[in-house]
Amino acid sequence: MKRLSVVVAGTGQIRDVEIQPGTTAGDILNQLSLKDYLLSKGPNDPFFANAESVFDKVNDGEKIFASTKAEVGESLLCA
Amino acid sequence: MRLRDLGSRPAPAAIRSLLSRIVRGHGPAVPVQRRQIPYWQERGWQQRGNAYTGAYQTRHGAFAGEIRQHHGNDIEFFLYQPSDEIQRHSHWACFQHQGNDWYLVHMGRRPKDVSSGILAIERLVTEAFED
Repeated sequence: MKRLSVVVAGTGQIRDVEIQPGTTAGDILNQLSLKDYLLSKGPNDPFFANAESVFDKVNDGEKIFASTKAEVGESLLCA
Repeated sequence: MRLRDLGSRPAPAAIRSLLSRIVRGHGPAVPVQRRQIPYWQERGWQQRGNAYTGAYQTRHGAFAGEIRQHHGNDIEFFLYQPSDEIQRHSHWACFQHQGNDWYLVHMGRRPKDVSSGILAIERLVTEAFED
């Protein structure tokens, strides 16, 4: 079991969760009712995929971020 | 006589304080309140009306920025003097020059809040330096 603090980037609200091995990013977002959000450890790390297990990639007590989906550019227009 | 009793004198204050703490044990833990503030604020951005100024911060450096929130998720993100690394990124075409070294960052998928947009641009800057 690990404890995580999920910071909702837009508001700064902190939601504390406990996760077990195999818990995915999608499980956490569903549990917190954060639709259209993505989880990441911060700007220097990629987003967790929805089906990705988070347990092994975070430390007990770590703070992670939930932010709304945003992407620079659009492949057809400017990539 | 090889030993002479010189009497006693008080120990230095630092040692007395240390001994007193050992005897008393640790005091009760003081709970520290967590600051629940938006990411933009945590990263030091300043808000003036509907505009925000600050820096997109990554482990590779910080880049000055400005954000204008017109309404809802109609938010424009600007970046000042993007580095060569950013200009070599595959999404460089999404940076529209506005003059005076300011660039409007075109968002293919618009964030619903300022903080999420800052995170997206910081992630892109990080990618530009690491790819």
